[in-house]
Amino acid sequence: MTQTIHILLVDDDPAENVILRALMKKVTSATIELHYRETIDEALAFLLGGNAVHMVLMDNRLQPQADFRETVPAMRKQGFIGPIGVISSSLADPYFQKFEEYGADFRLDKSELDPTAIEFILREYVTKG
Amino acid sequence: MATLLKNHRRYDICSDLEKALNRVDFFRIFHNMSLRFGFDHFGILQLGNENDACMLSNRLTLHDLPSGLAEEYDKRHRFGDSVVYKSLHASGISSVWRADDLHLGNGSNLLAQLGFELLLCVPVNGINGARYAVLFLGDGDDIERQEHFELCYDAIAAFDYFYRLVLSNKAGLGLTPRETEILRWISHGKTASEIALIVSVSEHTINSHTATILKKLDVVNRTQMVAKAIREQIIQ
Repeated sequence: MTQTIHILLVDDDPAENVILRALMKKVTSATIELHYRETIDEALAFLLGGNAVHMVLMDNRLQPQADFRETVPAMRKQGFIGPIGVISSSLADPYFQKFEEYGADFRLDKSELDPTAIEFILREYVTKG
Repeated sequence: MATLLKNHRRYDICSDLEKALNRVDFFRIFHNMSLRFGFDHFGILQLGNENDACMLSNRLTLHDLPSGLAEEYDKRHRFGDSVVYKSLHASGISSVWRADDLHLGNGSNLLAQLGFELLLCVPVNGINGARYAVLFLGDGDDIERQEHFELCYDAIAAFDYFYRLVLSNKAGLGLTPRETEILRWISHGKTASEIALIVSVSEHTINSHTATILKKLDVVNRTQMVAKAIREQIIQ
């Protein structure tokens, strides 16, 4: 019996939810329940509601202006100490080099998200130990 | 990691290597490398004494193999008996293996046992001489000479960064301000989850920093860590 892993996706593009949900279905080593919220406020409310979340995948830029340098600290301020990964269509901006300083655990280019990458992330941050 | 000079060419992967910070970044680099050269998976294998009992799952320090594959292999086979394992201790030359290579024989054919058709092994070294091999696994027919050379170069360059940044024993190196801060909270008896809340990072990050502090101070547990830090006046 495998444990269900709850992942919270925060992304203002609903298409990413559809894409990621399809990707998660291809992961065979774990049962994943993907929770989706469009805004950081909705995501914070979801956490505050006491819902189990093993990992957060945070789109870098959320409307209107926020990027991970604001959203990840907001999640930490709420008391979330699980892993947070920042996902973006481009990791080229120099500020990505400082993702650890803002409380993020890892960064992934959206084009690199495949079932193998998800399995690796789960192994590294959720299921190992 | 501005340690290297332009003389270390690194070509197309130079920018990615210079930006890499943690295991996920190196996973991305090696995973993309394996796909770029027509393989499906990679694994970085720690080599030790050839005669030591060893399991594949314990020797893989970073890999993107399907979850549980190495563990399943270890239940059924002995990695130390495989021809590939033995050859990695016999020579530092990169090698290409096919599952239908006749000389691999029964019971020692790692590729067939893992369910792949093609394996490329690139022996690599850490700067202190520690021996590892980067493995690329897939179902292709073979690899061309030029691609083979390029993949070897890229694998050696990427491993060099991975070793220096992640694997090397950093004993004697100074602590970063963040590590010193975490050490101070540990000395106050705080748990990893409590420190994560205090400094606004994940518990995983705290554990990772703690492991680095253990390495840097060359100690084996948190008690010895705090004692040594006080003795060396890192903290009061």
